[in-house]
Amino acid sequence: MISIRIRRKYLFYVVAILSSIISSITVGLDTIITSRMSAFYSPDEVSWIFGFSAFFIGFLISTLIGSFFSIRLNNRRIGSLIDPAFHGIRLIKREELKYHLFAGMGNAITTVGYFYVLSLLPDPSAVTPFYRVVILYLLIVETIVEKNAPTLIEFQSSTIVTLGAILGSISITGDIEVVPLAVMLLIVNPGWVLLSIYQRKLKLLKPDGKPNDSINIRIWNLFFTTIFVTAFILIQDFILGTNYLAKSLEGSIRFFWLVALTMGITFFSYVLYIRALGMGKASITEGVRASIVIFSIPVTLILSLFIPIPIPQSPALWLIKIIGIILVVLGIVSFALTQVTAYILVRATPGTRISDLIENIWNIRGVESVAAVAGKYDIIAKVRIRTLIKGYERIIRRLESIPGISYFEWKSVLKEWENV
Amino acid sequence: MTMIKAYILIKTRVGKLESVLKDAKKIENVESISVVTGDVDLIIKVGVSKLEDLMKLTDEIQLIDGVKQTTTHVIEKEISL
Repeated sequence: MISIRIRRKYLFYVVAILSSIISSITVGLDTIITSRMSAFYSPDEVSWIFGFSAFFIGFLISTLIGSFFSIRLNNRRIGSLIDPAFHGIRLIKREELKYHLFAGMGNAITTVGYFYVLSLLPDPSAVTPFYRVVILYLLIVETIVEKNAPTLIEFQSSTIVTLGAILGSISITGDIEVVPLAVMLLIVNPGWVLLSIYQRKLKLLKPDGKPNDSINIRIWNLFFTTIFVTAFILIQDFILGTNYLAKSLEGSIRFFWLVALTMGITFFSYVLYIRALGMGKASITEGVRASIVIFSIPVTLILSLFIPIPIPQSPALWLIKIIGIILVVLGIVSFALTQVTAYILVRATPGTRISDLIENIWNIRGVESVAAVAGKYDIIAKVRIRTLIKGYERIIRRLESIPGISYFEWKSVLKEWENV
Repeated sequence: MTMIKAYILIKTRVGKLESVLKDAKKIENVESISVVTGDVDLIIKVGVSKLEDLMKLTDEIQLIDGVKQTTTHVIEKEISL
């Protein structure tokens, strides 16, 4: 007997927050590694060397973990505890290749940029909040791709998150660093958008009619990212006459265990993140993951015991930082909790082509699924919107203008459970 | 393997909604359960591998104490995000 134990909404939050706790720990580890590497190499070199070794070693480590997860225990694979869709490591399918190429490129861009920022600004609690600004980019992309125009609430909460992130990040030394900020906004964040959108597509893809699993997606993502990073390094070496590839290999060996540790932990953070992406929209997942900002402060404090990081002395700076965090959390809560779901049961006028009708309904913004059914009704559509007013303005009005509908009923959903 | 999906619209007797929900959550092959407003009380989405399983499933739902009426709508075509 399978029972629906946990409401999907809550599982989604658990998964997303776990992922962000783990990744804030790895940001701390990353900072330690960057500062150790800086003793040997220049900042430009560190970002490439760390970038290369992270993916190269990360791929090896993740494949190892993946193989361990493929072991059967009581007729179930160990990995199915983390993602029930996991059925052992496998080769990628042809339909996945295109998405993997984009996701790999996104990951290469975002990570090398991120290591560059870390090498300039060795303070995790100043860097991580900027990642959250990605929510704005995602909102714009979703507006275009998922036929979902942002509502006032979405706009408000993402602005709050962004402003909070900026407040949280400038405070620690009291000044704003321009170069890291520009790299974050122009390189790291767009790369991340590319990565998260294509990872979501991969997770929603159903190769062989079975749901895709996050463990294989992560392993193959590392594979393609390694290829892209190597290609970028080779192009640089060729054009600028640098010697990054050799240094990267040397660095990978010198820092093998530290990098293996951080990439091993990162693996879990990503697998959980990809699972969360499969459950919620990318911008909402990002929103929940913004809680990383909260965890980055204790991580920074602990880290300052080991490596020199300037800790704010004045209470005013702490106040600004706390205000920033409260804003981020508020933004996330209002973002994730306001949603109205409804079913629309439709009867068509005799003589209407149902396939045209479902296409027309599908084109309405906010429609999540449309099904042609056999029974008392002809079509059942499910809609998800931010407010009931939107339901009238955006859905009912459009529905009434579609020819061929003789009757429809709106059924607001009061509570919902989904099997995950 | 083809998957047959269906929406089952359920009317319950007044006062029985909570217990019907509890029992419905235990049924296998249920994808989602929604409590809705209007003349039906529950909309359940199910996915089975053959039509016979659908019959078994609707039987199971009808046997739940408090279920007044069920209407099954087999999905012929679906577009979703």
